[in-house]
Order: sequence, then structure tokens, then C-alpha cells
Amino acid sequence: MSKKIKLYDATKCTGCRGCQLACKQWNDLPADQTENRGSYQNPQSLNPNTWLLMHFDEVDAGADGVKWIFRKDSCMHCSDAACVRVCPSGALTHTKYGTVALDHKKCIGCKECVTVCPFNVPQYDPKTEKVAKCDMCFSRLESNLEPACVKACPTGALQFGDEEEMREVIKKRMAALKGKGHLYGDKFVGGTHMLYILPEQPVHYAGLPQNPMVPASLVAWKDWLKPLSLIAPGAVLAGTFLHYLTKGPKDVRKSLPETKGDA
Amino acid sequence: MTNHWNDIANSDCILIMGSNAAANHPISFKYVTKAQENGGKLISVDPRYTQTSSKSDIYAALRSGTDIAFLGGMIKYLLDHNLIQKKYVQHYTNATFLVNPAFKMPGENDGVFSGLKDFKYDKSTWSFQTDTDGIVKRDLSLQDPNCVYQLLKKQYSRYTPEVVSKITGTPPEKLLEIYKEYTATGAVGKAGTIMYAMGWTQHTVGVQNIRAMAIIQLLLGNMGVTGGGVNALRGESNVQGSTDHCLLFHILPGYLKTPKASQATLIDYNNKYTPSTKEANSLNWWKNYPKYSASLLRAHYAGSTSLEEAYSYLPKLDDGANYSWLSLFDQMHQGNFEGFFAWGQNPACSGASSNKTRAALAELEWMVNVNLFDNETGSFWKGPNVNPEKIKTEVFMLPCAASMEKEGSITNSGRWMQWRYKAVNPPGQARPDGEIITELYYRVKDLYEKEGGPLAEAITNLSWDYGPKGGDGRIRHLDTHMVAKEINGYFLKDTVVKGKTFKKGTLVPSFAYLQDDGSTSSGNWLYCNSYTEKGNMAARRNKKDRSGVGLYSEWSWCWPVNRRIIYNGASVDPDSGQPWDKKDPVILWNGAKWVGDVPDGVSPPGGGRKPFIMKPHGVASIFGPGRADGPFPEHYEPLECPVEKNPLSPQMTNPVIKRWDKEGSGTDVDARATCDPRFPFVCTTYRVSEHWQTGLMTRWCPWLAEMQPGLFIEMSKELAKLKGIKSGDLVTANSIRGQVEAVAIVTPRFKPFKIDGNTVHQVGIPWHFGWVTTKMREYVHGDKKPEVFTSGDSANLLTPFIGDANTMIPESKAFMVNVKKKGV
Amino acid sequence: MFLIINKGDIKISTTFEKLLHWYLAITCLMLICSGLGMMFHSFNFIAAPFGGLKNLKLVHNYTGVAFIPALLLTAITWWKEAGTFDLPDDIEWIKKCGGYLWKVEELPETGKYNPGQKTFFLTVIFIGLLMIVSGFLMWNPEGYSKELINWMYALHACGIVFLLPFIVVHIYLGTVGVPGSGALVFTGYTSRAWCLSQCPKWLRKKEEDGTLEVFTGE
Repeated sequence: MSKKIKLYDATKCTGCRGCQLACKQWNDLPADQTENRGSYQNPQSLNPNTWLLMHFDEVDAGADGVKWIFRKDSCMHCSDAACVRVCPSGALTHTKYGTVALDHKKCIGCKECVTVCPFNVPQYDPKTEKVAKCDMCFSRLESNLEPACVKACPTGALQFGDEEEMREVIKKRMAALKGKGHLYGDKFVGGTHMLYILPEQPVHYAGLPQNPMVPASLVAWKDWLKPLSLIAPGAVLAGTFLHYLTKGPKDVRKSLPETKGDA
Repeated sequence: MTNHWNDIANSDCILIMGSNAAANHPISFKYVTKAQENGGKLISVDPRYTQTSSKSDIYAALRSGTDIAFLGGMIKYLLDHNLIQKKYVQHYTNATFLVNPAFKMPGENDGVFSGLKDFKYDKSTWSFQTDTDGIVKRDLSLQDPNCVYQLLKKQYSRYTPEVVSKITGTPPEKLLEIYKEYTATGAVGKAGTIMYAMGWTQHTVGVQNIRAMAIIQLLLGNMGVTGGGVNALRGESNVQGSTDHCLLFHILPGYLKTPKASQATLIDYNNKYTPSTKEANSLNWWKNYPKYSASLLRAHYAGSTSLEEAYSYLPKLDDGANYSWLSLFDQMHQGNFEGFFAWGQNPACSGASSNKTRAALAELEWMVNVNLFDNETGSFWKGPNVNPEKIKTEVFMLPCAASMEKEGSITNSGRWMQWRYKAVNPPGQARPDGEIITELYYRVKDLYEKEGGPLAEAITNLSWDYGPKGGDGRIRHLDTHMVAKEINGYFLKDTVVKGKTFKKGTLVPSFAYLQDDGSTSSGNWLYCNSYTEKGNMAARRNKKDRSGVGLYSEWSWCWPVNRRIIYNGASVDPDSGQPWDKKDPVILWNGAKWVGDVPDGVSPPGGGRKPFIMKPHGVASIFGPGRADGPFPEHYEPLECPVEKNPLSPQMTNPVIKRWDKEGSGTDVDARATCDPRFPFVCTTYRVSEHWQTGLMTRWCPWLAEMQPGLFIEMSKELAKLKGIKSGDLVTANSIRGQVEAVAIVTPRFKPFKIDGNTVHQVGIPWHFGWVTTKMREYVHGDKKPEVFTSGDSANLLTPFIGDANTMIPESKAFMVNVKKKGV
Repeated sequence: MFLIINKGDIKISTTFEKLLHWYLAITCLMLICSGLGMMFHSFNFIAAPFGGLKNLKLVHNYTGVAFIPALLLTAITWWKEAGTFDLPDDIEWIKKCGGYLWKVEELPETGKYNPGQKTFFLTVIFIGLLMIVSGFLMWNPEGYSKELINWMYALHACGIVFLLPFIVVHIYLGTVGVPGSGALVFTGYTSRAWCLSQCPKWLRKKEEDGTLEVFTGE
């Protein structure tokens, strides 16, 4: 099975939010009561009922005018996914498509993935005591359909396909943009399976990590401490066994004064 | 649309002005994006930097209501730089026509055209010079000072970038950048298109906004070609269809005119509206008017009624009377109506000056609200500041089926008639509109039969053959296929037309076969060809595009006669017949016939037939004497504006608009505020992607309400600072007519305008909201609980009660308000 | 027999101390088992008797809560005897690794707890505290920086890396490594020989004070 890539080409995105709605529809997610807080963006951030959120950022370039830039925020589907690494229950897994699936049934709500994700994607729901996130419509992929958001996109800002094919699409698009596009997602966490082409430098997008990575603490823990937590007691256990064989148990009676010896 | 949605992809330059297509016609951007990928440029002109602007190559801001100044500047630019597509202009427009020397233009006549008297134009000087044979005199060299071309040049010589900039607030260099980019499409083989919507129509100069662009398109040779045209993006999926089928008071189906009281007989009526021409090579298609009117009458009344009788049954307009929206509600406000069917509409929120509309409803004895859900109209009697005890109006609610709950067709902006199937049954007692009408018809008929009445036969003789009939001769269920077939039309007896024999009862293959003797019927001649013996054309779903230019001629059906790009006869050189655009030709002569699109009135190459066949002269009108407010567009300020004088002339507003504040019901709901320090800021209304119209079908959809939960008002950082408002604050916006509360969105996307040396602030507000929410609904056990509510009332509480001089569409897009932080 | 108290055996632990030891030990072992059950997919089976990982998580979290008083009481109860070092003898003892690893001619006498035990005690107290703090932050991460929480996970794992070897040694020495120790945590009594070997200084002090409790068989 070839790995898949979902491309979000923000240079073609009009911020119509068809994707945000399609995501809710396919995944049957309820709406929350919101209020306008001075922006089109709503809800304010991803939440357990919103797995895909369009961000609306404004860049005020003064006399040069203004830019209104949009960003589709949802799971990036990292190749080196911190969430999969930490997940204790195996609820979060890499699929054959290269995406990161979440088995809701297996989730124990430990929230480890919530804190470890460099993109702040997994959302803990206190009501269900489970975590929720975009799984790139795994159920649709299994039926040979594109993700719901891609299906809904009117402009082709969202595209989906085999990795090699999409790399070609990206190459062509980047060339056509003549340096005005910024590819985001290919250079970290082993490459993400959702890639962005952004019309502006990533720094202009609120909440978009500039250098996302698997946290050092996670590397320390999973790559070093986790094996050590078995190796260390194992080694010590072996040592005691050896000790018992070579030195034998301590004979406390030896410490009794000869005179009082009862041996 | 003269062209169609897919065709936008063929454009070399797209101007989006008076529309925020990216947000409000999101699918259109599929084609805009394609055009851009092919190297096309996108220009966005809007008071506010929108989602459309975010995708544009060039963006310019202009003050609401100054589009003619902006476009007039473009006309001047392209004439000054001689960027016209000359051969096209010479042969396919009336630029060469000589105009009556007595005709005067605003620049030389105090800001108005010659003939203004008592707020109306006497158009006698707006005429063409003719020779003794009655043929229009012309100057092919375009040099005669009285030719349309020279008059045009003279009219727009006043629209210099500096003057335009003073009016619009757009910097001159930005104007020139856009003029340069857009007018480059005048090159042979290049095409530019315009996508506009209510941002252009909803002005006192709405029609002239579009005229100005049509003139530009003609000068650049952009009409009738792929990637060109004048494209109205409709505000509702079936507005095109409803207009084609006579939703408006002044037309019958197929743009036939509504008869007037003075036209006593069908002959009078036909004579009045059947044009003649002395021009050689002009097809003058409207010469067929009597065939279409006769066929329409036959669709209404069977053969037992003579055509003259049938004509006598038609309702007639009093001469000079206007029954458009504003007039109706003004009359209602004056207590001149007893009852009102609010059918599929929500005037309490959608009507301009909603306070007046809401007050008008209280003058009714009864109202029938036919809608999917309860709305502000049906519940007006318990609305804000209304005491139900004081309301006499009895309101009936008839729940109707939504589009997915019934079968039928819609006609989209691109004139494509698309058949839709029923997906689910309507809930509860809801019924399709057609069934409601049918029942209403039979009950009214019963009353006429029992009680009689004036012109009772108009009802009792009406054909109603929309399904299998029972023993009583009445249909049990409405079959929309029968309606569609009647719209297409039948041969009513065995007929021989053009050497072909047609059997009685068969469907007419196209309007070329319609007859004026009553032997054919057609409910709408423009749709004749849509449902033929070959089947339901609108239901076709063939995805093949044989044309290679995205016509998709076997997908659904398009009026007229499946012609996807109208005026396409103008897409070829008049002499050689070669397409201007060799890369994307609409039609191509293959040696024997035209291939590609259905050719529009064009003769074989060199035949000389004029392509604008709906015009008596066969050419397009750069000089348009048919308009009420002038043959050329002229900039006038909106009724409410922030400036004390018009830099172009002493005439401030369109001189022929109907002034309700002077002659209407005269109450404060008609008041206006120009240069009134109490209302210093320009305001415009618009839409968001998530909601639709008054929000009736979207506000109650939790997913949409979640994304756009309530009324907001957008303003610049500068204005916010001035008024001490922060983003997210609750503010009040007032016009002289009303007030709304909204959440402030303080944004750099609005910038203050420099208008003639002064700073002018503009704000904007969406109009989708209303005070009725799901929270107020009574829930029956088992109903889904309401989840998400929207807040805020209609932006139309602010808008003025004034209409365009030609169409009377209300001026919702430019008026004056004040804003302040709530509670301050 | 193993759990028989012989005449002349010396009372080392009170009933309270015995209960406290087992309270701490059981919570600690449960935390370790449930923790490992979540830490390693291959140990997920540990969750089976609890009806799944989610319950295992609950067991872990609430055992953690129960662990807090155990740890605090432990700290209070044994701080004086196990939390402070007896210099310079303890240093000398440590240098010689208490004679466990190589043959040592002369060992400095130790009090009730030798420095090895003291180190273990302190490790339990401090790592225990660390586990409590990091565990609670992991349980309720809302309102803290994600980086902090991420490091809490690392520290929690770090804690187990240090604690587990000590526990292995503790169990070894408390059972087969030093015969006679095992019964102590059940009976509270042990032989004089054991005392002379493991806590001679304490024994002597008790005898001098006359507070030594010796089982008389009644």
C-alpha cells in the first residue's frame, strides 16, 4: 500500500470552510455554542468536537495593504508521530497509508498525546474521558475515498493522493509559485502526511510551530529511560542472583561473639 | 451570466467587483483558480479586503457606491490609449451610430442628460440619426463628433484618475494599475470577464453600474467569447430561473412584457412589443414576439378559449404603475392591502428598511407564511418592540417542502436548467409549493364557480394539466414533469413547420417552431427545447466536453436552445469568420457549418449577419437609450453619502429615482441622512459563506451557527481607535431608520478612505441574522434538541428605502450610520 | 519455622511499623505493576484482571493517591533512624559496601539501619515525592505548559529507572540475601544474632537504655 499525502495548498484556499463543515458531517461531530470574539475564526481552537479548524490571520503591512491568510488546522499525520510513541494503549497507530489513526475504543484518556503533540492536535474530552483528533477519515480511506475535507474543497486547495504522485504535484506547484510558496511539513518529524503550501512565511500563522519536533523529553523518556527502566532492575536482579551464587547469603550468626555462639 | 461558471476558467483577466465570490459563491473559485493556474490575473475591487481579495493579484479599495466613477475612469483610459478591439467595436456595437445632435450629456448639461423634466427623462433627443430610408447613419471611422464613440469619449473625458480618486478614495496609481491590467484583454484573442453580484445591483445606479461594465466589455471585444462576458452571480441558486419564469411584476415568462391597461387587445399588445428594423442583415429576433405571446396564452388556456379571449384574461398593469417590492411594501404600510402571501421569503429581515416592512405587516388583515420554518415575518407580531395585543393581522403558516424534498429543476446563474430528484419526503404536513398552489387554485376556482366575480373565467378556464386526473377532472398530485413539458410546449394540432410534420400532442423541438396562431403552446419560449420528444434535456448528465473549452453541452440544458455562451456570433471576425481567440474558440466554421457551441445568429463567414440578434439593429448597445436614467452611465452619489458635492457635476443623486422620503408614506422609516454629522460613517451590507439570505436555512443548522454565531460589524483599526472600540466589543450601529447590536471585528482589512481630502470611514455588516432563534421553538417530544443559536437582528433595519431608477432594487449597499460601543 | 518467634528474639518493629511497611509496599508494587502495564504494550495484559487499560489507569491514579499518606507516614516514622547518617562510621561502611560485595575484615558498626538501607529509604522518599508530583501533573495537565508536562513524563520514567533496582536489592536482601530478615516484617521480632550483625549499635544502645524488648515466650 502506497503511503498517502494530503496537501493543503493555502495559495488556493479561500477560507470558505467547506472542509470544516464536511469534517463535522462525516465524523458526526456536534456543534458547540460559540460567540463571535472579533474574528471569523470559530470555534477559537480545535476541540473534541472540532477536528478541523480554519484559522484566519491578518497581516497588516501598513501602506502596502493587508493580507488575509487562512490555515487549515488538523492532524498533520507525522511520520515520526510523538503521539503514537507515547500512546500507552495502542489507540494511536500508524496506518498503512502513513496516516495516524486513533482507535477511540482503545483510548484510555491518559492525555499523554495531548501534551506531547508538537501541533497541539489531540483534544481531551472530559465528557467521554477520551481524546479525539482527525484520522484523515480512515473509514473513507478504507473504502478508497478521499478524506471528507478534500472532497468538499471547491478550489483544489486540498488534494489527496499517493505520496509519489503528490510529491510531483507539489514540485510543480512550488515551481509555478516562483518562490512565493513555502512548503511546510516535509522537514520535521520525519515528514508529515499532511503538507502545507503557504503563501506567507510560517511565522505569520498564529499557532503554527516554526520548528515542530518530537519533544526532547520524549526522546529521553522513550528512547533511553523506557528501556532502562527494564534493563536497570533486570541487571540488578541478575547481579543479586550472581551474588547469591558466588557469595551466598549473609550468615548473620557469624557476628555473634564466639562465647555466646549457639552454632 | 452571458457565459457560464465553467467558462470563467478560460479567462485571461477576471475582475471581481460588487461581489465577494470567494465567500459567497465558493464553487466559482474552482474556475477562478483554474484561470489563475493558466496564467490569468484576478483583480478584486471592494471597499473591504475580502476572501476574494486574498486570492487576487491586484486589490483596490473603493468607497461603496462609486463604481461608475471607477469604471468611467477605465473607459477613459482605454479610449485614451486606444486599447479597443477596433473591428469588433465597429461591426458589433453601435459605436459607429450617429446620435441626434440635440442630445446633451451631463458634462455640458448640469450633470444630467438632455430631456429631464419633473424627475423623468423625455428621451426624444436620445435617438439615432437616420437616412431617408430610416436606416441609422453611421461613421465606420468613428470620427464624427456625433457618433456614439466620440460621445462616449467626451462623456468619460471628465473621469480623470484624479477626479475618480477623489470620488472613490482609490489611489490614482492603483486605478491605473488595474486599468492597465484589465484593458490588456482588448487584444485580439484575449478575454477578460467580470463577476459581479449585489454589490453592483443594490444601488440607486445599479443598472448603470452594469451598463458601464458592459460598455467596457464591448470596447474590449469581450462579449460572446470564451473567458469573457458580463456575469451576474445570482444570490440564490434559482434566481435566474425565477426571473426567466416571471417572478417580477413587469414581465411574463420568457421576458415577455406584462400587458398594460391601455393595450386592450392581443394585437395592440403584440404591435407595441414587436420591434421592426430596416437594417440589412439584422435578424431582429423579437420579431417573433407574437409567436411567443400566443404560445404562452395557449399554455394558460386550452384551444376552446380564443387567443384574444385568453389575452383579455391576463391581468393588466395600470399605465405607469410600478408594483415592485418597495412600492408594494409602501402601499402595505399605508394600509392598502388586506392580505399577503409571504411565499418562500422573509421580508421582515430581507426587505430594505425592515422597520418599515415590519410595520407594514401589521397593517394587514391576514398573512400566509409559506416557508420551511417559522421566521421573523410569520412571527412579526411578537417581535422586538411589538405588543401582540395591538396586532390585528391573522397569520397562517403553511409548511412547505425544501428543494431536496421534491423533484424539479433549478436554473443556475449560467442559465443551466438542471433537473433535481427528490431525496427524502417532506416532514410532517409540509408539501411541495406546487401542491400547495394546486390546492389553492382548486379552492379559489370553487369559489369563482360558486360565487362568480369579475373575470371569473380567467380562473375557471385555466388549464391545469399537471398530472393524471380523477373523475372530477382534477389532478390528484402535481407531476413536475408535466409542468416542465408545458413550459417547453406542445403542438396542439398536426402541424407542418419548415417542411416537417409534427403530430398533435408532441413536444415542440425548439422555439423556432412556435406559431402565432394558437397551434402551439409554450409556457416559456426561452425554455422551448428543454423537454422534447428526446426527453428531459435538463436531466442529462453526460460529462463529455466535445468543445474542448468547457461547454459541457450534454450536461443538463441551457437556455436559449442549449447555447452556453450567448452572443457567440461576435466571437469571430465578421469578414473571415475566423475566431478572435484561436486557442479557445466558442464556435468554428468547419467549411460546411459551425461547430462548437450552438451558434448565435451568425451567418456563414462573410455573410454579414449581425450577431446581437435580440437587438433590432443587430449590434450591442454602447449607447443605451432604453434606460430610464441615461444612455451612458454617469456617477451619482448614493442617496445617503458622506460628501457634500459631486466632483463631476452639480447633480448629487440619480435624478430619476423615486424619492420615498419625499413622496412615500413620509414617516421616519423613509428618512435619509446625507452629510448628517449624526451618521458619519459609510456602511454596506454583505454575506458570509456560512449563512444564506436571512439565514432561515442556515441559522438553524448548528454546524453553520457554530462558525458564524451572530451579527458582527467590521471596521478599521483607525475608526475603532476613534470610537474606543476593541475587537469583540458589543457595539450599536444606528442609521436614521433603525439600530442593531453587533460584535465589533476590528480589522486592517478595512482602511479609511481619503475622499476629496477628507477621511471617510466605512463599516460593513452581514445581513443574515434575525431575532427568531431555535431557542424560541416549541419542541415536540422526540424532536432533536436545539444546540446552537445565533444572535443579532437584521442589518436591513439600517438600510434605506430607495431603489434603482430602472429596477427599483433597494440601495442596501451604501448608506450612512453611526457606531458606538454599547452602553457608552 | 519461618514465622515462629523464638524465645530470646528481639523486637525490632512495632505493629504500626509493620502495617505501614506493607501499606507502602503494596501501594508501591501496585503502582509499579500498573505503571509498567501502561508503559509497555507487551505488559498491557496486566490490565486484563482490571477490565482494561482504562481501569488500570484509574487503579494507578488512585493507588497513587493512596500512596501519598503511606509515603508521608514512612518519612515521619523512620526519618530519625533511616533518614540521617551516623558519621563517620556510615561513610566507612559505604566505602566498604557493607561487606556485601567483597570480603571485608572489619565493618563499622551500624545503627538500626545501615547506610545501604538509609539510601534506599531516602530514595523511596524522594523518588516517591517526585513520582507523586510528576504523576499528578500528568494526571491533570490543564493549565501548565506542555513542556513542563512533557518533562514530568520523563521524570516519572526516570524515577522508575532508579527505584526499581533498589526495590530488587531490597527484596533480595530482605529475603534470601540476609536470612532472618524476611520474618521480621511479619513478626516484628528477630534473633539476637541478626541484630548483632545488622544493627549492633542500636542493640547496644537499647540494652544500655534497658528498653530492649525480648520475647520471653509468654
